[in-house]
Amino acid sequence: MKYPKINFVKLLKDYKDGWVAISSDFKSVVFHGKDLREVMKKTKSSKEKIYYFPAGQSYSNFVG
Amino acid sequence: MIIPYSPLPDFKSRSVLAPLIPVTFYNGKYEFSTFALVDSGATGGVISTVIANALHIKWEKIPVMYGFTVGGTLRSHRFNSLKANIYDHEFSLSMGIVEGTSPYKCILGQRDLFQRAKIIFEAYKNQFELVFREYN
Repeated sequence: MKYPKINFVKLLKDYKDGWVAISSDFKSVVFHGKDLREVMKKTKSSKEKIYYFPAGQSYSNFVG
Repeated sequence: MIIPYSPLPDFKSRSVLAPLIPVTFYNGKYEFSTFALVDSGATGGVISTVIANALHIKWEKIPVMYGFTVGGTLRSHRFNSLKANIYDHEFSLSMGIVEGTSPYKCILGQRDLFQRAKIIFEAYKNQFELVFREYN
């Protein structure tokens, strides 16, 4: 089974910092905030499963 | 299951590909869903302190351990009572809680995900294969 690609370039297009809340189908950002606490406060009443991810401008050159 | 590498933003080439998977962590009644970097070079998994806070883990009270990265040392607090759910496979795991992780706030490595699944990286196809082990 091949899973669909999760495209963070599209998801984070309008967000360069803070954290985003991503829908359970991984296709849209439902909330954005300056930090994780703010985003979680915004999603508190949401019944949908939410995935949280830090919005950054560059994820390259990571060596771990 | 075959999982395509995820395109992520990059300054120069506009995107960089990385093996990421959706994961939900549970600490008792608290849960937190995010995306983890699958890192074969990581001895064990780590989450950032902000994720630990979201999971109501009192990480400040856990003694500090020191680990190594390619660029130096890191401060970590080991938490042994976490559960994870990945593609409906649930398992317990021990995670290091690390201050100042960047850019990834969650990494899974050899002591956790790689113990639970066979993982085949096929970077030339921009994908990886994840086969969870069967337990009787």
